Amino acid sequence: MPDHFLGVEGVSVSFGKGEARVRALRAVSLLFERGTFSLVMGPSGSGKTTLLSLLGCLLSPDEGTVLVEDVAVNRLREVERTAIRRKKISFVFQAFRLFHSLSAIDNVALGFRLRGGRQSERMVMARDLLNRFGLGAKLHQRPNGLSPGEKQRVAIARALAGNPPVLLADEPTASMDYQAGRNICQILRSQVDEGGKTIVVVSHDPRWREFADRTVVLRDGQVEQEVKNP
Amino acid sequence: MKLAWQNIIHDRVRFLCSVLGVSFAVVLMVFQGSLLVGFLQAASRLIDASDFDIWITARGVPAFEFGATLESRVREIAAGVPGVVETGRVSMAFAVYRKPNGKQQIIGLVGADPNIGKRFPVPGLPGLAEVPSPDAVLYDESNRDQIEVTALPAEVEINRHRAIIERQIKGFGSFLGLSYLFTSYRNAARYLGFGPEEAMYILLRVGSGYSVSDVQQSLRRRLPEVDVLTRQEFAHKSRVYWMIKTGAGGAILTGAVLGFLVGLVVVSQTIYANTMENIEEYATLKALGASRTFVARIVITQALICSTVGGILGLLVVVPLVDYARSLISWVYTPWWLPVAMVVPSLLMCSLASIASVRSALTVEPGRVFRA
Repeated sequence: MPDHFLGVEGVSVSFGKGEARVRALRAVSLLFERGTFSLVMGPSGSGKTTLLSLLGCLLSPDEGTVLVEDVAVNRLREVERTAIRRKKISFVFQAFRLFHSLSAIDNVALGFRLRGGRQSERMVMARDLLNRFGLGAKLHQRPNGLSPGEKQRVAIARALAGNPPVLLADEPTASMDYQAGRNICQILRSQVDEGGKTIVVVSHDPRWREFADRTVVLRDGQVEQEVKNP
Repeated sequence: MKLAWQNIIHDRVRFLCSVLGVSFAVVLMVFQGSLLVGFLQAASRLIDASDFDIWITARGVPAFEFGATLESRVREIAAGVPGVVETGRVSMAFAVYRKPNGKQQIIGLVGADPNIGKRFPVPGLPGLAEVPSPDAVLYDESNRDQIEVTALPAEVEINRHRAIIERQIKGFGSFLGLSYLFTSYRNAARYLGFGPEEAMYILLRVGSGYSVSDVQQSLRRRLPEVDVLTRQEFAHKSRVYWMIKTGAGGAILTGAVLGFLVGLVVVSQTIYANTMENIEEYATLKALGASRTFVARIVITQALICSTVGGILGLLVVVPLVDYARSLISWVYTPWWLPVAMVVPSLLMCSLASIASVRSALTVEPGRVFRA
């Protein structure tokens, strides 16, 4: 029996009112197994980011259920959803969203801080993570001194701080050159293979197909296609 | 709270503006506070300097400076009330002072019996024993320029009577903008044209074993046509008069409140601008699972850092500033607790300044993190 860690059941989401109302998702049901790498693709406006927001407990659906470890999180209070994000879900963003005034190591240490890491261990663990991602020489660089690929590796290190079981990534390789993007794909894949993480990546980038276990294609707020990759 | 600290020092110009705003507010508040405390002290300084328990004044006298003469029988009746063991007289009236160079000006002339109090500036007290004449005239050092006495003793005129200024004293500068001269009661009565038994204020000492309040009530019954006040009551009445009824206290208080408001606006604006500039980072923090407390602490810590650094800088500036002001305005006084007490308005200022910013940071939608 599959071990579903994350999912949505019959979710619909609309934005706006009246004639300006846009239905971003229409009765979508998708389950994501623990320790798998899923790729969500689709044209702009297909509902990919809305789906990611639901899975990340950042948005509540108009209808349907969002599940995290079999708990219907959309019925929880905001403070409880925040706690679930803190303990179980991490994000990697297209725009990196690093804290501009903090160095690379402080950005990662903040990830540990948010997830309750001990003060004495945060910097050591942050250093270890960045070293693993080849950023040992850039520990004290601020984000504006890093290349896009380096920024994204710092962002992934921050997302992995505290070892959350789920990682949701939104266009993590956009605006990156081929090699840098491929490097990010490999890092995330290794988190599934070695760390047992559940990863959902939303992207237009076809490079991701070779790294994902499954590809879901959305169109007009509905699942158009779902393919298990060999 | 490294993020809070790094965020504010990342934009040094804004941080500097904020620190200067708080410093300005603290300087203004301490300075205005020193004016206020000094003003209040000066308004009742001579009353406080007396040792007597009860002051009898003409009915409705609002402050020490505006006394009216009392009939001689008042003193006699008061002296006969059980519990009264000693009486003394004080007068205070405005007089024409003619300087050694012939120029004239109005001065406040204070006369007192020598038993009025050890701190009361009157010739004949132990501390002023070296003054040769019991009828000598004294002046405060802060009035030296106005009195225009170049050498002591100096011969001057008070209400066309010859007078000898013999000594300079300290700590009794006037807050009215005119000089005070101090002399014996007998001398003052002569200069002011009082009858030998007339007095402006009659002071009474209550013997041990008697309640000041009981004696005061007895006096009120016996002397219904005058005001019978304890020393503290008359001091309070004088302070209230100068502080509230003249509007002087209001003006000083307004300055202090304005200082607070200026600081509040500057810090609010700075912290708010900083928060709004980093609003995307607050959204990211919330998306990453930061609690409301954690987010609020970052904003409040920034405000606290600004107010602490600004407060310390302000105090470093205001101490020499008040010292300098004291050389110009003798009654300015900064009690030790005033700079310490600035912690309260500074914290209040930064707390109020943080409200809008905390609100903005807490209400930012974490879902916006996916907008590129």
